[in-house]
Amino acid sequence: MARKWLGIALTGILASSLAACGGNNEGNASPSASGAPSGTGAASGSPAASPAASQAEPVKLNFWTPDRGATDHIKAEIARYNETNKDNIQVEVNIMAENYDQQLDIAFASNQAPDIVRVNGLPSLSVFVKKGYLEPLDDRLTPDMKERFGSLLREGVNQIGGKTYTLPNYGTTQRLIYNVELFEKAGIKEPPKTLQEMIDVAKKLTAAGKADGAYGIAGNLKSTGSGLRFADPIGMLSGMGSSGYDYKKGAFDFAQLKPIIEAYRQMKLDGSFIPGVEQLDIDPLRAQFAEGKIGMYVSTASEPLVYKNQFPAKIKWASALPPTIDGQQRGIVPVGNAGIFIGLSPKSEHKEEAWKFIEWMYSDEVLKSYQEDGVGISVVPSVLAKAGKPEINGIDGFMPTKFDAIIPPVPIVAIEGMGYQEALIKYILIGGDLDAVIKDLNARYNAALDKAKASGEVKAEPMPDFDLSQLQGTLAK
Amino acid sequence: MHRTRIKLEAVAFTLPSLLLTLALGIYPIFWAIRYMFYEYAGYGTPKFVGLYNFERLYHDERFWNAVTNTLVYAGGKLLVTLPLSLLLAVLLNRRMRGAGLFKTIFFMPTVLSASVMSIVFYVIFNSYNGMLNQLLQQLGWSRGVEWLGANYAMLTMILIAIWGAVGNYMLLFLAGLQGIPRDIYESASIDGARPAQQFFYITIPMLGPVLQMVMLLAITVSLKGYESIMVLTQGGPFGKTDVMFLYVYKMFFPVASTTAEVQQFGYGSAVGFAAALLIGAVTLIYFYASKKLNSLY
Repeated sequence: MARKWLGIALTGILASSLAACGGNNEGNASPSASGAPSGTGAASGSPAASPAASQAEPVKLNFWTPDRGATDHIKAEIARYNETNKDNIQVEVNIMAENYDQQLDIAFASNQAPDIVRVNGLPSLSVFVKKGYLEPLDDRLTPDMKERFGSLLREGVNQIGGKTYTLPNYGTTQRLIYNVELFEKAGIKEPPKTLQEMIDVAKKLTAAGKADGAYGIAGNLKSTGSGLRFADPIGMLSGMGSSGYDYKKGAFDFAQLKPIIEAYRQMKLDGSFIPGVEQLDIDPLRAQFAEGKIGMYVSTASEPLVYKNQFPAKIKWASALPPTIDGQQRGIVPVGNAGIFIGLSPKSEHKEEAWKFIEWMYSDEVLKSYQEDGVGISVVPSVLAKAGKPEINGIDGFMPTKFDAIIPPVPIVAIEGMGYQEALIKYILIGGDLDAVIKDLNARYNAALDKAKASGEVKAEPMPDFDLSQLQGTLAK
Repeated sequence: MHRTRIKLEAVAFTLPSLLLTLALGIYPIFWAIRYMFYEYAGYGTPKFVGLYNFERLYHDERFWNAVTNTLVYAGGKLLVTLPLSLLLAVLLNRRMRGAGLFKTIFFMPTVLSASVMSIVFYVIFNSYNGMLNQLLQQLGWSRGVEWLGANYAMLTMILIAIWGAVGNYMLLFLAGLQGIPRDIYESASIDGARPAQQFFYITIPMLGPVLQMVMLLAITVSLKGYESIMVLTQGGPFGKTDVMFLYVYKMFFPVASTTAEVQQFGYGSAVGFAAALLIGAVTLIYFYASKKLNSLY
């Protein structure tokens, strides 16, 4: 009998423990929660921690980021903060590998949201704000912060509806990356400046390298999300809009991309692409480039750190501004992910402490370290003035020029059918009727845009006077 | 009193799993059924759109491409997996040296993570410098094969699926074979039945119930499978390996937040519902066919 009741009791315990798994973890995250935000001496900001405060449990904050490329840097910075801050705050950083956004969705839905959230890419900002993952920072910004970041605050970049949710730190400039040794072997003196030159160079590089398994060009064409990463740097430096969006018309017009897509198709027909390019993700591509098997490709300022740590380059390589359609630089090269960094979760139970940490992260001293450690190129003028150049091979070519700029956001719309990157990559790989592809993309994207505008989801007004050349020199002279 | 106590115990034992099933199994189904009639991006107010998601589904070439791919993928996998696992089970059911070791080797893929193994398979099948192409090149096939390219990606996915499933079904068949009394075979051999005759007239009929169960499992699992495809090709190149539930997954969890893709919970729910209906229909056809076969034998 006693055994039966023991069984029932154990079942009950199991059930309650399972139910507890679904609850929030804030209780064990911070024993001082009941006193927050001002319950601890440390939280009040008193630098002279009283014996009672020093004995008190520290306020634990959770910081989530998907920046795994900067893992060492972030961990070192967080360790420094945990050791030096006098507010009895301990930050635990969670560097996600994949599916960051989905993990955030789950965390917020189950009341296990982090206190500090990294905004993961420009499109995420509006989505995160709509989902309630970010709190406006305007009331917390100090006069010093307003002065340092004020000129960089833009609607759709770090503000939504006039409210500021995140501030800029670093961005990733984009360049044509090339294998200097293969260029020399093929007798090519400088990187291509036009699309036609790019086609010719890719052919020559392949001719010179094929016997050793090296090919002229590559792209991470497996990815339907970033496989077309070469299109904007080439297209926008030529003076066109971003991601097929025409800022002047306030509508999508993928015909802009036609010359670029045709050039890449030509390189495919010429046999200049590394074999198996349709299966290449960016990391396998980098691994091949580091081995000297790829002549050139377009990518971001993340590459120098990658070729230092992740895939140490066995070749001499360099970077240059991407080519343009006809050699004329009428626009700019967009600085990726600029304008966004970290923000405050509205669900944090320790907002004051979380803000102290955020304030520290946005100090010139910390932001400077992001550039000096080669994580990215700072876009904050006060930091740029102080920060040294990172001592990483290849970074020189990625330092901001007058042709690098932060661009206005492109409306995010829910399209029906194949996305533009996948559709255009398909054409590059197997050909077809490009005009028909473009017509179909324009119809579907603009239908989705009209729908989103009608429902008030997005604002996309034509900007007839928009001129990309006016953005030249906004980041560096 | 005694009965009440038994009932109480039964409730106490079933309650935890019942609650979990309700919360994690039943509730999401009702949630998805509701959202099939809405447009919802995961934030804001869901917008009621009636049957629009189904109208869209009917015209959605990508969905029908995924349906075709699913049938090819599942069909290819089943055609090889079932006979092969039965053959291996019959061979390993004999008293032979090293049978235990072979069972372990064949069963190993079942316990390995599909995602991890997919990365290993990338190293093998990668067309530029993958191990398989290097081997082919050493054998004189200088061009190699684009295993993950448009022409061969589905074949490669089927091969990987077969590798992952054979051991599992082999084990189920083996359990079934061990339930067949050995004296039946002995008397059959005294009567002069050859091994092939024993296989077709004793093994197969006596394995009937196990065979039916394994086939049912294999059909539903094959139609739902997408994990290794997601890791290896993401459904590409350009939809050549897109299968139904990968398509559903991508509606709920778009590729990356760094691209301007929007979650489409409403349409994703409609696609998921349609996929479930299709699998249900195939399973019903199988039930009907196996009933017919039962009555024949």
